[in-house]
Amino acid sequence: MTAKTADAQAAIDKFIAATDSAAAAYFDACVHCGECAEACHFYLASGDAKFTPTYKLRPMVRAYRRHKAPFSGLKRMFGLAPPEVTGEELETWAELVYDSCNMCGRCTLVCPMGIDIAGTIAKMREGFVAAGLAPDGLVLSEKNALETGSPMRVRLQALKAQIAHQETETGIPITLDKKGADYMVILSSMEIMGYAETIGALARIFKHAGIDWTISSKCFEATNVGVQIGSSETARELVSRVVDAAEELGVKYVISPECGHAYGALRWSGPNLIGRPYAFEVVHIIELLDQLRREGRLRLKGKSNEAITLHDPCQIGRRGGLIGEPRRLIHHVSDGFRELDGAGITNLCCGGGGGVSANPRAHDLQEAAFACKKAQIDKLGSLDAIVIPCANCRTVFEDGMDAYDMELETIGLSELVAGQLDDASSRGEGSRD
Amino acid sequence: MTSFLGFVEGPLWAVAAAVFVAGAAWRIVGLLAIGRKPDISPPRASAALGFIKANLRHFYPRQLFLGRTFVHLLGGYGFHVGLFVLLLFAAPHVAFIKDRILGFGWPSLPRAGFIVAAEFAFAGLILLWVRRISDPVMRRITDRDDHVGSWLTFLVMLTGCMALGQSHEFLRASHMLLVDLWLIYFPFSRLMHAFTFVLSRGFTGATYGRRGMTP
Amino acid sequence: MIIRYRVCRRPFARVAGRRNWPVNVCRSVLRARPLAIALATLAVLSLSPAKGLAGTGMAPTHASRPSWPVVREVARPGNALGKESFSDVWRGVRAGRAFKLSDPGLGTGVLVRSGGQDWRNRHLLLVRRYGGVLILLALGAVASFFVFRGRVRIEGGRSGRTIARFNQAERLIHWFVAGVFILLALSGLILLFGRVVIADWLGKAGFGVVVSAMMQTHNLFGPIFIVGILAMAVVYLKDNLPEASDLTWLVRGGPFFIGHLPAGKNNAGEKAWFWIAVLGGGVLSVSGLALEFPWIVAELRQWQLANLAHGIAAVAVIAVAIGHIYLGTVGVEGALDGMVTGRADEAWARQHHDLWLGEMSADAGPDAERPERPLAPPRTADTPAE
Repeated sequence: MTAKTADAQAAIDKFIAATDSAAAAYFDACVHCGECAEACHFYLASGDAKFTPTYKLRPMVRAYRRHKAPFSGLKRMFGLAPPEVTGEELETWAELVYDSCNMCGRCTLVCPMGIDIAGTIAKMREGFVAAGLAPDGLVLSEKNALETGSPMRVRLQALKAQIAHQETETGIPITLDKKGADYMVILSSMEIMGYAETIGALARIFKHAGIDWTISSKCFEATNVGVQIGSSETARELVSRVVDAAEELGVKYVISPECGHAYGALRWSGPNLIGRPYAFEVVHIIELLDQLRREGRLRLKGKSNEAITLHDPCQIGRRGGLIGEPRRLIHHVSDGFRELDGAGITNLCCGGGGGVSANPRAHDLQEAAFACKKAQIDKLGSLDAIVIPCANCRTVFEDGMDAYDMELETIGLSELVAGQLDDASSRGEGSRD
Repeated sequence: MTSFLGFVEGPLWAVAAAVFVAGAAWRIVGLLAIGRKPDISPPRASAALGFIKANLRHFYPRQLFLGRTFVHLLGGYGFHVGLFVLLLFAAPHVAFIKDRILGFGWPSLPRAGFIVAAEFAFAGLILLWVRRISDPVMRRITDRDDHVGSWLTFLVMLTGCMALGQSHEFLRASHMLLVDLWLIYFPFSRLMHAFTFVLSRGFTGATYGRRGMTP
Repeated sequence: MIIRYRVCRRPFARVAGRRNWPVNVCRSVLRARPLAIALATLAVLSLSPAKGLAGTGMAPTHASRPSWPVVREVARPGNALGKESFSDVWRGVRAGRAFKLSDPGLGTGVLVRSGGQDWRNRHLLLVRRYGGVLILLALGAVASFFVFRGRVRIEGGRSGRTIARFNQAERLIHWFVAGVFILLALSGLILLFGRVVIADWLGKAGFGVVVSAMMQTHNLFGPIFIVGILAMAVVYLKDNLPEASDLTWLVRGGPFFIGHLPAGKNNAGEKAWFWIAVLGGGVLSVSGLALEFPWIVAELRQWQLANLAHGIAAVAVIAVAIGHIYLGTVGVEGALDGMVTGRADEAWARQHHDLWLGEMSADAGPDAERPERPLAPPRTADTPAE
């Protein structure tokens, strides 16, 4: 039992408010067939039926059926409506909703009724936040993000240090706060601290292709804890910071980095959160790289022939629609690419997205679920590296591979592309004045 | 005997049909009336097209999931296809539709076709319900509505099967009674998935269609 | 053998010591009470006259096939066909004599097939009378087993740990066939016994309705059963092949043995049921097809055989099914779990299928149900790094 008592009524109110026509149609279309479980890596790894995706939605469904569904008044009168959601139920469900769901969307794919369970979990988390049941790890990340801009408290000093390091490594100057630049890059804290070579890779690619770009010192964080924890207010605040910074600099495009949910949060949810369209366009780094490839602006010194494969991050591939782009880029720069079984739109989640990797309570479960990913990779035989265009996935992979004694290098997509660029023929733009 | 048949095919049928039509309409309209905030993010592709694409795509699972979902696929389609074929093309049903509902009919199946369709329907329904009571996932998520809906449908089909001889009014009347009860139960239950599935697939298709993909 | 002095559910267990042989003989007789009662019932029923059928015109007659009449040269009264009398002619008709037809296109010259009455008598005796007795015996045996032996409890109570017993395919097929079988059995029993058991109670019109309904049901579900029993034969075959432990199990008394008998996944009794169900089901399927689609059968005699085979196989399988259903539900604690949830309690497995439990523990691999469940659990803090 937790020290704080869950505020069930606040949760119920949020559930009802968050249930729109789509969610209502979902709740009224579910025939309890259980197919969603067959797609969920938490169920597949543990065999425990409580991880069935539709089961995770039960409190919200009950609140809907009792209060908002057509005929709910009639059913309540005859005692046929479900019982009121209780605090105990919410406390039990908090583990299911936060620890065992990455909002990866595989369940949505397999559902014969096309129910977007993953998207509805996001709505459901609003109720849990209102009830005070969000996991401590995420609550802390949220606090950090609101206070410092970064869920990991990565401040401007740290960014500048990493940028300086990359400038030395690549010999390319990186300008901050360049007004009127075409592109503004935002980064995830994980990238800045753990995979800063991505920044260097971007610098090389942009110099090579002649892209005019900058990073804002006011707001350089791409991740949005509000979307993960289930707080629209936080999500709105974090998106507005990016929007304000971009509009202040007057950039044409904001580049969403190799991160999962950041793109969806900014590109699709953002305008709805702040209630107005942006004065700029949002483009994913993979989209931009593919565009450069199409336009012939990525000239290579040759193709890599390392044996590599690709992990499609859920929010980029299945939920973001970018399935062909990373493959075209990889084929452009590599001869040794092999597909994982079930890659593409049906790819298995790494197990760490949707806030799970920021939730220490979920660590053991997440590690157990990674076993599915291990099995998928093992089927390919010997590999040199795995391309992972998401910094969070990369961290999860590295922890998981350590736990399962797997030897495999991880590499970002920008890094892979930058590694094959013919630097001698770069166009040399975007330099410091 | 005639009064029982007259009752179930007369006043009770009228009530049941009215409850069915009005109830189903009320529920669908009610769902749509809840409303949805318009999406102001710039779309990448058409939401309307996504609505249709998702409705079609979810008729068949993706290759990777086939191995784990084929029991449901077989049982589900066996039941539904068998049921629709016998509902729409069995001679007594076509006659009923012609006399009581539409005023016109269409060519019907020979009796053997009717029986075969019914066998598929029964086999599928029994397989699905048997799975519901023996599969750990379905046992966890199943509620009373699922069982009542399955059994009511089964009884409708069973009484129909019993009346196949067309030689006793009582059997025809008992089938009609169960049909009336089924029609009255329908709008308040999960059987409404027959209509709501279009909306649920469609909303997902529209949301992600405007993002340029069909989940 | 351990002498038990406390009051228990085995009041007539064997006593140790050669001098105790009179005690043990008496105790064996007392232990066999259910069997004795069953045999006595059978004896009484078969020896008593068929009172139930008397006076209905359906009692089997004895001389169903009179001998061919002798045609004598002497003219008879009536002079119907010259040298033969009317009574001779009609005796000939009753015996199945073929007459010359004025037009061969009219069909057969045999006016009365007495073979039909033979079949009918056999059907009524073998299938309806003996079959009814068999089913009542089965019910009686089950009831007396429950009364005298009681529910077979799990010794020491449930352990709380479970092992995988039946995978999803096995469970689905089992319940599918079980459901269809029950529908067929109930409709079939009403078709067979309805006239003597419920017709008077429902009245002619009511019974007519019921029997029409039952016939339609039976005919529709028959083909579904065929598919089901074939699938069952395929899925369950590998666990129902004879093994050495089956012989021991049978020789030492099987279900009547009090104590532990080693057994594999299925003991000999369960395997016997599988074979009865599958082979009986096969007979039912083939004969059922001949009955439902009579044009596939060449002559009347084959149809009669099909009818007899269907009836005999039906009552036999139903009688054993009664035992199976009893044991699987009420009769043995813990038996139902395996078929509903797929997992069985370890203590139950140790008590009833210890050889199988031993195999399962040795091969502690992943669940058969989910073959792609990953094999390697994550390294925990306790596992030393390599």
